[in-house]
This record gives sequence, structure tokens and C-alpha cells, in this order.
Amino acid sequence: MSTMPASLTAARVAIVSGKGGVGKTTVAAALAIAAARAGKNVLLAEMEDREAFAPIFGLRKLAYTEQTIAPNITGLTVEADEALVDYLRMFYGIPTISRALMRTKAVEFATQTAPGLKDILLIGKVKEAESRRHEGAHVFDFLVVDAPPTGRLPRFLDAPRAVVELVKGGQIRTQAQGVLDMVTDPKRCQVVLVTQPEEMPVRETEETIETLSKMGITLGPIVMNGVWPELRSLGKEPEAMLRAAASDAGEDLSDDAIRVLAGVATTHARRARNQRKAMKTLANDVSLPQIELPYLFTERMGRPEVEQLAQILSGCVS
Amino acid sequence: MTIDELLLDRHIIVCTGSGGVGKTTSAAALALRAAELGRRAIVCTIDPARRLAQSMGLEQLGGEPKLVPVTAGRSKSKGELWAMMLDMKSTFDQMVLEMTTPERAEKIFTNPFYHHISSTLAGTQEYMAMEKLWELHEEGRWELIVIDTPPTRSALDFLDAPRRLTDFLEGRFLKLMMFPYMKAGRTGLKVINFGTRVALRAVTRITGSDLFADVADFFQQFEGMYETFKQRSKRVRELMTARRTAFLVVTAPTEPSLKEARYFAERLTDEKIPLGGIIVNRAHAVPGVAGLEDPAAIAARVGDGVLAEALRTYGAWRAVSLREERLLDGTLGAIEDTPVWRVPDLADDVHDLRSLHEIGELLARATG
Repeated sequence: MSTMPASLTAARVAIVSGKGGVGKTTVAAALAIAAARAGKNVLLAEMEDREAFAPIFGLRKLAYTEQTIAPNITGLTVEADEALVDYLRMFYGIPTISRALMRTKAVEFATQTAPGLKDILLIGKVKEAESRRHEGAHVFDFLVVDAPPTGRLPRFLDAPRAVVELVKGGQIRTQAQGVLDMVTDPKRCQVVLVTQPEEMPVRETEETIETLSKMGITLGPIVMNGVWPELRSLGKEPEAMLRAAASDAGEDLSDDAIRVLAGVATTHARRARNQRKAMKTLANDVSLPQIELPYLFTERMGRPEVEQLAQILSGCVS
Repeated sequence: MTIDELLLDRHIIVCTGSGGVGKTTSAAALALRAAELGRRAIVCTIDPARRLAQSMGLEQLGGEPKLVPVTAGRSKSKGELWAMMLDMKSTFDQMVLEMTTPERAEKIFTNPFYHHISSTLAGTQEYMAMEKLWELHEEGRWELIVIDTPPTRSALDFLDAPRRLTDFLEGRFLKLMMFPYMKAGRTGLKVINFGTRVALRAVTRITGSDLFADVADFFQQFEGMYETFKQRSKRVRELMTARRTAFLVVTAPTEPSLKEARYFAERLTDEKIPLGGIIVNRAHAVPGVAGLEDPAAIAARVGDGVLAEALRTYGAWRAVSLREERLLDGTLGAIEDTPVWRVPDLADDVHDLRSLHEIGELLARATG
């Protein structure tokens, strides 16, 4: 087991990622809530129009312009074209350029043509928010980024380096260098990988960790999401054991009921055991702390569920 | 229709769906099942190699088709299971070599922009998957080709992506943008509207001009190849809409996944692409039992032992099961004439041929 303290706020920016379907968006939202509770001024950003945060915070849509979505939490959807317009406005001070740009599909063209330009624009926006100051102090104490899934993450985070190498001059190079400095600084940026206690997601997590480490990117604790509750053993003959327990308690349960109960419980127990095994494998292979989040049997991930997870994460937020 | 009927009847099966729903596993299980039914089947996967390779018991899955040793006593059939991984870049290289002279191809290969196009441009992977499908079909060695599709954010990307690549390569807009660099003649410049000129200036300013020189050079070398690209794309499309082709939508029993599956199914119908069915992976089917209508109430009465734990666990999963059923009815119920196969969530991870075989069995048993 690792002795490292599991701090999700060790760096100012937490890049939250994971294999598709493991719940990274939920975890990102829960982390933002936990940090906000701890008194931090938090920016919660999603990359491109995924509209994933809006329902959690009871909104229809998250705007490109920053807006307060919960106490101490500013929400933002980063869009590549908006970011480009922003960027041009900032560096060239030409607001009129935006309309012409949009009309000519120039952004689409530019982002398709220049390698990594789109990712640079997305992550560049995060960097801008990260470095933004008001009267000398940082505007945001903590930034949570709902990043692309692990399949795309290395390329996403590698974009600044790729641009620095490919583009020999110009503003974009300066911008890329600035972003590169941020993503490789352990005080400013760490990647929080969300995974599930199963063989395939764990393996993908290990591969991602290896790739990111080689890129000089710091990894924070791993969030193990969807951990099933463990059950007491039902022994070699689960049906007999349950039948005995039922008669002890004076409950009249049919054979059918006993059979189904035993079936569900043994499958569950077996799966829960496999989950522990997967978590152990990860702990053996990777020296990063794991934070466990329980599987929630609820219908959908709404605000109460996310609050529940935030409560657990608050132990890893300082 | 049952899965077996489909596997025996079709020549091409395309597995689509958003990421994280077990698409690759389904594709492999289907190909294995077909082999068990006596067909010579191949599965081509796109996901990072290791996943499928490991689940097929192969150390490494390469760009070349490999025969998977389907051991086990039951394989009296003459079926074969082949597996391969899509190597996007080499498929693209091969296409370029076929389409142009060696000198031109060489120039294209050394262009940094080509490297970007062939490895990272959105849509390339999907296009190459389709190109590979065509190649496998042309080779004629396999009775059934099962193709896995790239893990897209949305299943729909897969349909649009090849078109996006051809549009990009042909790109009128792009040529317009590149005019000054392509020495297309002075007159051309006059037709560029103001917006484009402003945009062009802005983009040049931020990307630097070296990149544009590479891009211009790339498109010059590519001149004349767009047509071929387009034709190939059209040809593959014909193959996709052929009678012996079936698209399967792989999904999971969650609201977003099912909604997307329905949307995708509708899109396929709009595009006149045959939808073979929908596979719902990791479904929970916990039956209702007389006397267990309120497990929580019984659990509260029986103390805190194993029985209470089993009752609560049953209650939780029964609720999940009912919810999934409702979701399935609500989202997929409206799609007519489309079989929906439910594969129950397995207690163990799927990582070998035996578990792939088990999934095949479960699929075959599922009612369409």
C-alpha cells in the first residue's frame, strides 16, 4: 500500500479523466462541490459541448461565459471556436474578426489543419483561467477540468508540446509554451484518473499512467468509482444457509424465493470479490493512492447522489 | 431473428456504439460464435490492440489477419476464427501508394502534415476502418467479416466521419484558403470574400507560415486523388447498404446509452443502412418472486445476518432490473422490427475465449 497522502487538491488544476462510462463527469462535479465546501473558489470546466454538468446543477445548459452554478463554483463550457475568438480578441484586439471567422468556417478549417490547435485552444482557455488574477490574487483557487476520455487524453495533453515542436514561430507557439509549462508543473496541474474496479478499466488506467508519466505529467490519486458493497460469505451451500436463517427468524420464504436470493447474493459476492482483486492489482502495480467511491443503486446521477460522493471526496480535499 | 440466424446469413457485421459499452467484446464474441457455427469469420478491431488481443488469448494482435486457435473439444466444426487490428497509418499509406506514383507517394509520406492527417485527423480512423472492410471483402477469404468501430464520443460520429475526411481532402473552402500558397493565379484571389481574407490572415498569424507551406504542398501532391478517395468512399457505402450487411448497435442499459442507441438506429434507417439489431450489454435481469415484493420489510424483521444482507441485495438489484426494463421499453420499444438482445452482466471479467464463448451462448439464447 502506498503511504502517499491522497490529496485531490495538491495541484491547482485537476484534470479529471477516465475510460468512457466510468463516471468521470460525476466525479469531476463531486470534486468541485467538495472543494467549494472546503472554502475554495472553484472553476468547473467541461471540454466542448457535452452538456453533462448542467443537469447535475439543475441547469438547462452550461454557457461559454462563466457563470455561478453553485456556491463558490463557476461553471464553464470550453468551445474551441469560442476560445479562438477569445484568443484573437485578447492578442489582436479585433472583436470584429469573430463574426467573419464564424461565417467562413475558418475555425473548423484551422482546427482541422493545424495539429493540436483545437486541443491547445481548449486547454489554453483553462490555462488562462488558472493564471487569471484580480488585484494580485488568483481568481480561482482550484480548477476542475472534465477532460476527454483516457483514449484521447495523452494526445490532448501532448498538444502543447507538439505545437511547440511543429510551429516555429508566432503567437501560438508562445501560447503553447505557456500551456506546456502549466501541464508539466506538479504544483499547477495533476491528472486525476477515474476508473472502475474491473480488469479492463484497470488495465487501461495503468497504460494511461505509464504514458502520462513519460510525458512528465503528474498524477494525483486514482478515484475508484462504483465499488460494490462486500457481502458476508454464504458458504458452500448458500440456499441451505439462507433457508436456515429464514426458519430461525420465523420467516416463511418459498423455495423459489430462497433460490433467487441465493443466486443474486452469490453473483454479487463473486463480483465484489473480483472488484477487490482488481483494486489490489492496481495497488500493486501503481504507487498512487486509491480513493473508493461506492456503487450507487439510484436511478440517475442527480444532485443528491453527487453530493453523497462529494461528502466522501471531502476527506481528500484540503 | 436470432443472433445465430444473423451470423449464418450475413457477410458483413458492423458493430457500432459509443465508447465503454463493450463493443469490442461483442464483436469478438460474435466472430467466435460464427466460427463455432462453422463459418470462416474474421474480426477486425480498432481499439488499442491489447484489449482484444488479450481477450482472444493472443499476445499481440497485428495489422495482419491471424488465425486464432479455437481449441476446446466442441469445435468439430470446420469454422475458423481470424482476428486482426486496424493499423490506421499503414492502411492510409497503402491507399496512397495505390493511388499515385511512387515519387509522389514518397513526397506525401515525408510531409509533416500528412503525418497529422494519417494519424490524428478526426474521421481518418473511421474512413480507414471502412477501407479495411473493403479490402477484407475484396480478398474473399472470409465468409463473415465482423468489424468493430472506433470508440467515438457519439456513435453517430462513425457515420459522418468518412464523409468529413473526404470533404476535408476535397475541401473547396480549403482550396480557397490555400490559394495564395498554391500559386493558383492572381484572378483567384479576387473571388475570396472579405471574411475569408480576414480569417486567413488571422489563422496564418497564429499558426506561423511554415505549417501552411506544408499544407499547401500536401494538397498539391494530393491533387487528383480526391476523386479516387470519393469513389472509394462511395464504393464502401454501397457495401454498407448491401443486403448481406448488418449493423449492430451495441449499448448499455443506462439512459444516455440507450437514448443514443435509439438515435443511432433511427439515423441508420434514414441512411437506408440495414440495422440488424441492438445488443444491450451488462443488463441486470433479476426476476420478481412471490413473497419477495417488499424485501426491505422482511430484512428489517430478520435482524442483521446473511439473510437480511441477501434480501437487501436482492431488493437493490431488483430495482435496477425493473428500472432497466422500463428504460428499454421507453427508448427501444418504439423501434419496429428490430431485435434487441440482452446480455446479462457477468460476475467475472471477460478476458479469454471461454468467456467470449459464454457471451456468444447468452446472445444466442437471448430473445430477439
